[in-house]
Amino acid sequence: MYNYYNYPQNNNFEGENFKHINYQNDNLYNPYQGLIRGNLFKNLYQPYKNEKPYEIKPMNDQAKMLTDLDSLEFAMIDLSLYLDVNPDDKRALDLYNKYRIENEELLKLYQDQFGPLLLNSDVLNNTPWMWDNRPWPWEN
Amino acid sequence: MWKYVKKLEYPVNITKKDLNMAKSMMAQYGGPDSELGAALRYLNQRYTMPDEKGFALLTDIGTEELAHFEMIATMIQQLMKGATVEELKENNLSGYYTQHDHATFPIDTSGVPFTASYIEATGNYRADLESDMAAEQRARVTYEKLINQTDDPDVIAPLNFLRQREIVHYNRFKELRDYYLNKFRG
Repeated sequence: MYNYYNYPQNNNFEGENFKHINYQNDNLYNPYQGLIRGNLFKNLYQPYKNEKPYEIKPMNDQAKMLTDLDSLEFAMIDLSLYLDVNPDDKRALDLYNKYRIENEELLKLYQDQFGPLLLNSDVLNNTPWMWDNRPWPWEN
Repeated sequence: MWKYVKKLEYPVNITKKDLNMAKSMMAQYGGPDSELGAALRYLNQRYTMPDEKGFALLTDIGTEELAHFEMIATMIQQLMKGATVEELKENNLSGYYTQHDHATFPIDTSGVPFTASYIEATGNYRADLESDMAAEQRARVTYEKLINQTDDPDVIAPLNFLRQREIVHYNRFKELRDYYLNKFRG
């Protein structure tokens, strides 16, 4: 799956995968825009040499769905670090849970279609054992 | 405990071999400010944080560093893929080839193996968090020097991602340090 990506510096790509979701928030990027920056928080974003972020161009359905998963999981990681120190921020907490539920649903869809990402996946109820299926994350 | 997710935190797909870059990347695999060092530093310091905020933040950042360690290994492995003995020799990697062949192994750019003395755990929240803030800054600078050495977008994109994570982690550690300084003042 990992050989279906490239990173063009295409400046008018607005995160096609997330166009169906309205994640309006003045202080935060949407999950995809956060992922390609490595930062969900607009006030903390400092690009090196003022470089534009590199777009992730998934080249098939599997890579596309995985990019959506990467984006949602990234948003959860960055929000959880923030919430660790700011546990009373209700807006951040609500957003975390919105992404968490979305991630849960997408994770199930992905695993049913393309194989397990986690050892508790329902698809492991198949013969033969699917966990060792390639590709592994480091393979291109 | 930990659970494995069979994917990377951010996609890595490098198809252009670059042995010099692979060697430079060792800084972040087994060097003093490496992702390995960061993971071990935070995961050891978490037990002596003053309260639950510190327990949570150091556990979660320590866990993310393990995901970064996996990204760096993936990058090094892909940068070295298919390199011949001759090519490794030309890039001053004959010593590496002799001992490790194409395996990843946590050493720094000069071949010095990773050691626990790179990490700190003083048992004091202020000393630990301020050293963590400095460690994140040193790692950020290292990523900038790595970015300066390549023009391959497949290498720069994940390096940019990792560099930006250092900035976020620095700010979270700083927030926690300030919160504790205020909480325990006087």
